[in-house]
Amino acid sequence: MIKKTISMTFMYLVLIFVVVVSLFPLVWVVMSSFKTNADILSSPFSLPTSFDFEPYLQVLSTNNFLTFAINSFTIASIATVGSLLMYSMGAYVIAKYDFWGRNIFFIIFAMTLLVPGHTKTQPIFSLVANLGLYDTRQGLILVYLSAGLAMCMFLMRSSFTAIPKEITEAATIDGAGFIRIFAQLHLPLVKSGLATAGILLFLGNWNEYYFAMLLTASARNRTLPYALAFFNETFAYNYTRMFAALTLVIIPGILIYIITQEQVKMSLTAGSVKG
Amino acid sequence: MDTKSKLGRRNLPWVFIFLLPTLVMFAMFYLWPIIEVFYTSFTRYRGFGLHTAEWLGFANFTRLFNMQSFLISITNIALWSVLAIVLHVSFGVVVAFIFYRGIPGWKFARAAFMVPVVISSAAWAMIYRFIFNNDFGLLNNIIRIFNPDFQLNWFFSSPAAFWAITFTWVFYAVIVTMVVLGDLMAIPSDLLEAASIDGASSWQKTWFIKLPLCRFSIGTGVIMSVTSRISMYEAIALTSRGGPGDDTMSLSLILVRAISDNNFGLANATAVIMFIMGILTMVIVNKLFRMNDSVY
Repeated sequence: MIKKTISMTFMYLVLIFVVVVSLFPLVWVVMSSFKTNADILSSPFSLPTSFDFEPYLQVLSTNNFLTFAINSFTIASIATVGSLLMYSMGAYVIAKYDFWGRNIFFIIFAMTLLVPGHTKTQPIFSLVANLGLYDTRQGLILVYLSAGLAMCMFLMRSSFTAIPKEITEAATIDGAGFIRIFAQLHLPLVKSGLATAGILLFLGNWNEYYFAMLLTASARNRTLPYALAFFNETFAYNYTRMFAALTLVIIPGILIYIITQEQVKMSLTAGSVKG
Repeated sequence: MDTKSKLGRRNLPWVFIFLLPTLVMFAMFYLWPIIEVFYTSFTRYRGFGLHTAEWLGFANFTRLFNMQSFLISITNIALWSVLAIVLHVSFGVVVAFIFYRGIPGWKFARAAFMVPVVISSAAWAMIYRFIFNNDFGLLNNIIRIFNPDFQLNWFFSSPAAFWAITFTWVFYAVIVTMVVLGDLMAIPSDLLEAASIDGASSWQKTWFIKLPLCRFSIGTGVIMSVTSRISMYEAIALTSRGGPGDDTMSLSLILVRAISDNNFGLANATAVIMFIMGILTMVIVNKLFRMNDSVY
């Protein structure tokens, strides 16, 4: 009995610790965004006395913040849709058609997961620069398009493989062509795989910092994560606004996660286990 | 001949067209970059094609090994990797075993645990920059409850900066937890029942059945957490910037610095070292955890 109480206490202490380290920093950031500069400095634990959205409006209306947000959103969306299209086409023929080198292609694509991040920095930097795409949104989109190759291959190949082949046979007998079978028959059947891959791709693109930092220079093409690096200068030690801006950067990711919890959970493990 | 291969042959042009975009991306962003990185790490290079690279032999590597910041980076990565295994992965495994017990509230804890990984690592680094801030930071304010005179700029003093950076990732082990939890849930229940009938205690079941059966996912967790230490960038660049001195330097910071100095050969020599460290980690963990043998 005592032993059981001890083990229960231990387990709950760990769970409470998990929740606190995961959520408390965020709660603190959001809370601070509703407090005055003086309150942030003098009483960091106090609850905000009122919910004043003034700092948020100020952040949104100044400092190009809206430009950064729009950049982030368009770049992430275009790259996500493009990746989904390209890699589901690739995964589709690997899953559904037999041709020479089919398995070799899959193994090679899967092996891209083994290349440690950042090692390809210079070639990608030079590629974008030599294409004349340095400091453009197109350059970032191009790089982000390459990011999800292995993950999409894994997710989409298994989704397409799960479609029973009788469906294909029936359609072929009915005289449907290659494109029609793909677009009208198979693609609608892998909606959940597409959604999972899409969410993971979008989150990755929306959050990306490293290449945004390397490949853009002007504020016109900056994305939100990279804009964070300039916050101290931008907000001139107005802490309330800094916390409000930080809240605005982290909210979309959390919202997407809350809405699509099951899929994010699945995809996070699917993408990593198979690596 | 099954329908699949017949279909394949008849539609060969389409198959090729569908595969083409993936192949182009693979060649542009994976295959060619790796060739370029390995070759030009032995050269003086400005990024205008391999024919413009000027052969230097091992000069870039010799230069790296004579750089103080490089040696500190290697030490830091080694120490962070040890911490990743000893603290990060084992914490993730412990949490997975607790989730597996399914005590009330575990689903909420799991959902909360996931939140830090859906946030941009840049934003997470900024949050921690604030938490460790001397004036309004969360941590110092907690410490000042007990010691009112406490003053410390965590990210700008030695050795506090190293530990502050460690804190930004060490407890956020949700991916390890999820991967291990997946393996735990896959353990056939008759196996555990049989062990109970033979008189195994719950500790014995954990040590001799569950943990060994999770070795694939634990190994995966070790590989993932160590390789992310090798390429860690945002958590350093947005907080201590490698300082104070070279205290918290890491290879990816050296790489970025070399690129902004237009010294691409040196940047790629750094990348080659990162690459070798990553592959070595994978090979060693694979051997140690016998990840190639089937679990059941």
